[in-house]
Amino acid sequence: MEPDMISQYNNKIEEYQAIVGKNVIDELKLLGNHLTGKRIQNINSTFSGGGVAEILSRLVPLLNQLGIDARWDVIQGDDAFFDVTKKFHNALHGRDQDISDDDLETFIETSRKNIDEMRLNADVYFIHDPQPVMLVSRKPELQGKWIWRCHIDVSHPNQRVWEFLNQYVCKYDAAVFSAPAFSQQLPIRQFMISPSIDPLSDKNKELSSGQIEAVLNKYGLDPAKPMIVQISRFDYLKDPIGVIEAFEMVRRGIECQLILAGGTATDDPECAEVLDKVRERSDGIPDVKVLLIPPGSDIEINALQRAATVVLQKSLKEGFGLTISEALWKSKPVVASAVGGIPLQIINKFTGLLSHSVDGAAYALKQLLSNPDLASQLGKNGREHVKQNFLITRHLKEYLLLFIALDHESDIIYL
Amino acid sequence: MIDWIKENWIILAVPAAVFLAFCIVGLWARRVLYNRLDKLLVKSGWGGREVLVQTTRGPFFFWFMLLGAFAALKISPLPAEVQVLSEKIITSVFIISIIWLLIILTNRLLTIYLAEIKSPKPPGKFVTTGVRVAMLLLGVLILADYWGWPLTPVILLLAAAILVAVVASRDTILNIFSGFEIAAARNIKEGDFIKLSSGEEGYVTDMTWRTLKIKATDQHTIIVPNNKLVRETVINYGRPLKRASKPFHFYTRLHLKELTGLKARNLTDLVNVLKAAPDSVTYYHTHHFLEEHQFLTPEPANDFALWVDDSLDEHVLSEKLANIDTFAYFSLDALNSMIVSVIEQYMADNPASRLVKGENDFHFLKSNSVVVPTPYFALDLREFVEVLRRITMDSLYYHIFESRLRLQKRSNDFSVWMRDSIGEHDLADKIDNLVPYTSTIEAMRSFIIQNIEKRIK
Repeated sequence: MEPDMISQYNNKIEEYQAIVGKNVIDELKLLGNHLTGKRIQNINSTFSGGGVAEILSRLVPLLNQLGIDARWDVIQGDDAFFDVTKKFHNALHGRDQDISDDDLETFIETSRKNIDEMRLNADVYFIHDPQPVMLVSRKPELQGKWIWRCHIDVSHPNQRVWEFLNQYVCKYDAAVFSAPAFSQQLPIRQFMISPSIDPLSDKNKELSSGQIEAVLNKYGLDPAKPMIVQISRFDYLKDPIGVIEAFEMVRRGIECQLILAGGTATDDPECAEVLDKVRERSDGIPDVKVLLIPPGSDIEINALQRAATVVLQKSLKEGFGLTISEALWKSKPVVASAVGGIPLQIINKFTGLLSHSVDGAAYALKQLLSNPDLASQLGKNGREHVKQNFLITRHLKEYLLLFIALDHESDIIYL
Repeated sequence: MIDWIKENWIILAVPAAVFLAFCIVGLWARRVLYNRLDKLLVKSGWGGREVLVQTTRGPFFFWFMLLGAFAALKISPLPAEVQVLSEKIITSVFIISIIWLLIILTNRLLTIYLAEIKSPKPPGKFVTTGVRVAMLLLGVLILADYWGWPLTPVILLLAAAILVAVVASRDTILNIFSGFEIAAARNIKEGDFIKLSSGEEGYVTDMTWRTLKIKATDQHTIIVPNNKLVRETVINYGRPLKRASKPFHFYTRLHLKELTGLKARNLTDLVNVLKAAPDSVTYYHTHHFLEEHQFLTPEPANDFALWVDDSLDEHVLSEKLANIDTFAYFSLDALNSMIVSVIEQYMADNPASRLVKGENDFHFLKSNSVVVPTPYFALDLREFVEVLRRITMDSLYYHIFESRLRLQKRSNDFSVWMRDSIGEHDLADKIDNLVPYTSTIEAMRSFIIQNIEKRIK
């Protein structure tokens, strides 16, 4: 793990007591005692951008505080490699994608280079997403336990890509998915661990009204006008065009504004293209703001979510959709597509509203903008739901349990 | 020299004889006086008799020797200035011996008397050291006055030293004063169960004038300075309750969801997978919502009922599945059989089985439980209820749900312990009769706490 990543996120585990209670932290310490000194090597493809890097940057220091020797490394790859892995990503999400033999060759070649060059030394190798999946080829030599952590919605994967990856996935000791629908018929054990948000991070901590106002002023947003906000990377799978279409339907009857804000990720070369298309589509539509937020602008994202009247996440495919948990944590009413891991966060009509189309999203937005009491109740329930199920402390606990479960076959383990 | 002695022997012999006479008188007086004093003290039954007699016997004779020396000096032919100096030295030695005797005597007597104070235990060493220092200071002042030394700088020096000592041992002094206050108030005794507003709680095992020791429910000893104790709000629950024959050890159970990769698209799939499913699958789908949806009231029904309703539009079957009384079963196998038979009966009555809407397949998961001992133990109902307030929902869940059904103990752990180890049958029955599936875990916690509080009031 890069030193600056360690120093950047140095919340003490005890700081979470005020949110989740001392007994929860005590339980984490109890589990940590059973894993003291265990070496866990996390490997993914980027240190910044996207949910995986964000979660690892927070979880690894906390694991260390619990006495576990957790580390984080990334594989190396050139543009050609990341073009291919982006295609894999889309294909695993079920999008039509041409994968040529050359693409597979590029993937294999870069992976081999990483296999040869990477320093691997751990008791548990925790490999995140498809990019480093081939590292498992060193399992016979290194021994230890190998886990493949899939953060992607693979409920309907492109079969060619899945079959290609599956030959490596089967060599792992276990796979971890974010939602039940992502599970596959595999000869190895599969666990379900949802991702999480960190309530103490800049993206989720409490902000003063002055801080929120400053961000709104910076981007020229009118705080008096109801605000629909979608925060996500500029990616076709987040359906930013569908968001604009839904907004147009809502705006016919309700005065409001739309903020489409997002950034880019180093392992996603498609972002710039999508951003251009979004800007082109929104051109000339009043009250639509497209904001390219630079990396590290977590406070700004936090402020936009807190300023929102309704938060929207109209993804076509979604690994999990942490922006929803972020919004729910801020007690915001959320309208989201019923895809991927979103239904785990949005229990329809209890913690938010689910939609299946542009029309559905528009209808739900209108309902929430016109019924502040309903919106407030959903937001309140949503915060409780996140507190109980999607905070980093729950995530940490399940990773600890996973490391323990790897050494036990039975359903009930006595420590 | 010998010639001089021969010529002046009488000048030397008289003072020596006087000194010797005083010594002899001293020995005689000590014998007579101490015999009488001892008899008197024996009659009085005073506990310090031995200390007083043994400590003062030596100095008593020594003082006669000093008196003899003083008298001998007076009749000696020594020059006046030598006589004055010698008198001053003898008087100083007398003062020092008096102070020395007082120090030893008070220390010994204090040791006897302080040992008799059981609770709170006085800080013996602190008191005896304090008395010793005070006596020494008194001696120094008397001597300084006697020798005509200027007292002001000495007093200033002493005041400064006292001030430094007070500042340095400020906390100790505050603790001792607080200990005095606690002792005088008699609100807390050893053996009481107390709870401080800062969170510390447990049985008081030891009280001194400086600190109070509490044995916490996690078996750790907490040392609370008396000064903190008087500043906090303290709830004293009083004497220990009936002790259990066996302590209750609290465990917690943390669960990890394992995906089976199996799914159902219609009722036939659902039944087929369920028939072959391990207990952990049945357990997961009939229990996980209790933990995950704590904030929803009423809580959702089991996963099977929800799925056939939402995804198959089989509303009647959903109601039948939701109405299965999980509480009535003592094994997951029996519960699984009941679920399967309800679905099969429905399918027999309604042969046109529907296919799932859209992509809402039923995905089978199972629950991996990791059972971890916590540091908390309870040996009576007071300790039990205090631990119950602080344990996690996972721990409560383990003792109420998991033990009863998954571990097939037929009852929750709390009731078993109350019945078998502490003889509280009524309380055990009340908790046993609580149907956990119709209330939240937090509501159950409140119910159990309220009932125990009522019982031990």
